[in-house]
Amino acid sequence: MVETQYYIALAAILFSIGAVGFLTRRSAIQMFLCVELMLNAANLALVAFSRAWGDLIAQSAVFIILTLAAAEVAIGLGIIVAIFKKRPTTNVDVLSSLKG
Amino acid sequence: MVLFVILSILTIALAIGTISFKSGIYSALSLVGTLLTMAMIYVTLSAQFLAIVQVMVYAGAIMVLFLFVIMLLNESQMSGADPLPWVQPVAIAGGMVMAAALAFTAFQFKAPKNLETATAALQGGTPGAIGETLFTRFLLPFEAVSILLLIAVVGAVSLVHRQAAHNEALETTSELATDGAYADEISSSNPAKVVA
Repeated sequence: MVETQYYIALAAILFSIGAVGFLTRRSAIQMFLCVELMLNAANLALVAFSRAWGDLIAQSAVFIILTLAAAEVAIGLGIIVAIFKKRPTTNVDVLSSLKG
Repeated sequence: MVLFVILSILTIALAIGTISFKSGIYSALSLVGTLLTMAMIYVTLSAQFLAIVQVMVYAGAIMVLFLFVIMLLNESQMSGADPLPWVQPVAIAGGMVMAAALAFTAFQFKAPKNLETATAALQGGTPGAIGETLFTRFLLPFEAVSILLLIAVVGAVSLVHRQAAHNEALETTSELATDGAYADEISSSNPAKVVA
């Protein structure tokens, strides 16, 4: 049985990959994908800790987070589509103004 | 341990693919692969229900939504020089430092219980076991999340359909309805009104 520490280390690496991607990508959609990656790394850590303590509460929390992620994606992609209607780009360097 | 090493190498490789592909489609498909391997890792962590939900909700619903939007917008490749070229090396170096620091912290973790007994207490993370926790200790968050999902759906629709008010067909109908002459015409053509 693999120790919890290895799972947490894997979650840390995945979170860092997501953070690096968020900083280096310039397309709003790809930045959004990186946010999803970071969210999943956090979920993995929660599930690993759930097994370490033998408690299902963390797994229930992961279920709630999954629902939150679905809501977040619906709103986020809606915003990206609404912006794209005004200015046909998803490059965040071009979309630097807060005015519509 | 062998299975864990294989799965982690696959996950990390696909995650790096997610952030390094230039095309949005390849990026999203690579993330789908990451989510699927993570679902397998969930199974090894005795979280069966979460593994299934991960495949259905994340790799299924959410990523299909992503792929739809990527194909709908059909964005061109990023053109022009990067306005901040120094960000990339700094971000990669910072990310490596962060990963090393977090992993170092992870190995300070002392297991609070014997792993075998703790795993047995999870009952395999089956839907029944999760549902019991979800509907007793997590009842309020569970109901709150359902309202949140409703708000998110309504919000997404109102965001995307903001221009619907300027729809010409709708405007002509509403003008006709409020037009005084048209209203008179309707009332005069109404026999009951004429009699009165």
